[in-house]
Amino acid sequence: MAVFTRTTKNLIIKIDEFFDNIDLGILVFREGIKSYLNKDMESFQRHLQKVDTLESNADKLQREIENDMITHSILPQHRAEVAQLIDELDEIIDGVKSTLHEIDIEIPEIPEELNNDIIRLAEASASAAEELVPAARAYFKAPFTVREKLLKVYYFESETDKISFNLKKKIFHESRELDLAHKAHLRYIIHHIENISDLAQKAADLLSGMAIKIVM
Amino acid sequence: MTLFFLTSGLFLGWSLGANDASHVFGAAVGSKMVTFRKAAIIASVFFILGAVIQGSGTSQTLGKLGAVNAIGGSFTLSLAAAITIYMMTKFALPISTTQAIVGAIIGWNLFTGNHTDSSTLTKIVASWVAGPIIGGLFAVLLFILVRKFKRSVKIHLIRFESYIKTGLLVVGAFGSYSLGANNIANVMGVFLPAFNLQNLDLGIITLNSSQQLFLLGGLATATGIITYSRKVMHTVGNNILELSSEAAMIVVLAQALVLFIFSSTALSDFFVRMGLPPIPMVPVSSSQVIVGCILGIGLYKGARNINFKILGEIGLAWVASPVISGVLTFFLLFFMKNIFNINVGHRIDVPGVTVVAPVDQVISNTETDMSGIIKYLLMGIMIAGALAMIYFYLLERKKTMEHRKSEERFWKNLK
Repeated sequence: MAVFTRTTKNLIIKIDEFFDNIDLGILVFREGIKSYLNKDMESFQRHLQKVDTLESNADKLQREIENDMITHSILPQHRAEVAQLIDELDEIIDGVKSTLHEIDIEIPEIPEELNNDIIRLAEASASAAEELVPAARAYFKAPFTVREKLLKVYYFESETDKISFNLKKKIFHESRELDLAHKAHLRYIIHHIENISDLAQKAADLLSGMAIKIVM
Repeated sequence: MTLFFLTSGLFLGWSLGANDASHVFGAAVGSKMVTFRKAAIIASVFFILGAVIQGSGTSQTLGKLGAVNAIGGSFTLSLAAAITIYMMTKFALPISTTQAIVGAIIGWNLFTGNHTDSSTLTKIVASWVAGPIIGGLFAVLLFILVRKFKRSVKIHLIRFESYIKTGLLVVGAFGSYSLGANNIANVMGVFLPAFNLQNLDLGIITLNSSQQLFLLGGLATATGIITYSRKVMHTVGNNILELSSEAAMIVVLAQALVLFIFSSTALSDFFVRMGLPPIPMVPVSSSQVIVGCILGIGLYKGARNINFKILGEIGLAWVASPVISGVLTFFLLFFMKNIFNINVGHRIDVPGVTVVAPVDQVISNTETDMSGIIKYLLMGIMIAGALAMIYFYLLERKKTMEHRKSEERFWKNLK
């Protein structure tokens, strides 16, 4: 019987570990962008390695969680949705990893006057993803609080959109010294950073529906 | 010949296992919280236990309604009820074994010119209405309690579901026990006056004549559960799937409580000792109680889209099942008596007084050695059960090992 086995306890630990990985991944993303903008490449490389490890851990945990839920018939009514939520959260850490790798490979030249704006953009985008994690944790412990926690995700996502819009406008309308290729490259990097909050919003939409279903 | 006469009762038991017993574990199996194999084993074992330990209470009530005093009558009556159930299931109409058998007994009373005890009949019919209502009230009460507990404790969803999973097994066992105690009378009640078997000593316990019959009925029901209830469980489960897992457990628990209340003589005696009126020992329809429970929760949650068609169908079943079964019994008894020249019973009543009927053709142990058959049957089942358990244990172990190996290979290849 499920009560007398350690499967439940182990699965809860694995899910918590998975959320911890996502949380840390977002933190590393934020610090990684700052290191790059401060031209501290050693620190940036360290963050890059850290995010690789976290992403790999998250992948392994994701597979184990899904396996455990299927083999031990855990949460049969919500299994598909929980698996999808875990997948959406994994997409976020995948996005974090790919953004940092894009920066590492392409080494974009960011004009110093844009540094603050890019940091604000990364902060807002990371905050959207960061606020998603407690909401996802709450789904398992206090589902009736999920929706109020998700409000912050939507707020930061819209902030990210605004910052990104203004930043792109600044690049294409005001930075006349930059050539078009440079501008397009910056837009591409901005798009990558902004994408983290979009992924958080996508997961928030799913989580919101899941919370209603479980509370009703 | 005796065994042939029992076949209709055993067939009725089989259909009870295939249909009614499926309701107990339907939600659990349909939602994949519990595997069919586990559900079928628990339902079978606990149904038999309920039938043998506590099945006599409701049988006495059916006996008061009509004491069938010839085995030919018992056979015909059970056959008519079974045919009614089969026909109504075929036309997808909700059917209750209880109502079919009560209708059949009244049909027998009419044919043999016996008096139908109106107070017993009123008690039975009132319980049909009261069963779903009490079930609904229990369900709402339990639902509120579980919700409050869940909200105040802030338990992890996965841990909560694991409790629910275990709870479904425990409640399912209790539900099966209560169903056995309450509904075995439908299957074997009409045969009781016609059988007088010697006590069967099994070492630990001794079974009297009626308990041996209940054991046979229970085994027939268990066969119905194992052979035919998988499909019904999945259908029931999918219909109830809109309910959450905790609501599904509450529905089964509420149903089990209702069935238990209407079949526990000890509880009824306790009521009397407390100065309260006794609880009538009446076989109630498990499927209708379940619908009452679901509706109760639906109403509490403020559901506006209550399916009045289902309510109408239940109302129709309340009237149609006993009427069809009664009419069919009347005609079948006519054919049995006049064409096959089988004794189906005779008039015995003293108006207003209920007596145990003198049975025309009492089957005694010496004539058929039924107890011996039951003893060997039980031994065979126990051996087969033990072998099946070992087989499934080894199968599970093999599956787990293969899964572990495949996981190890996956991560090794990934590296």
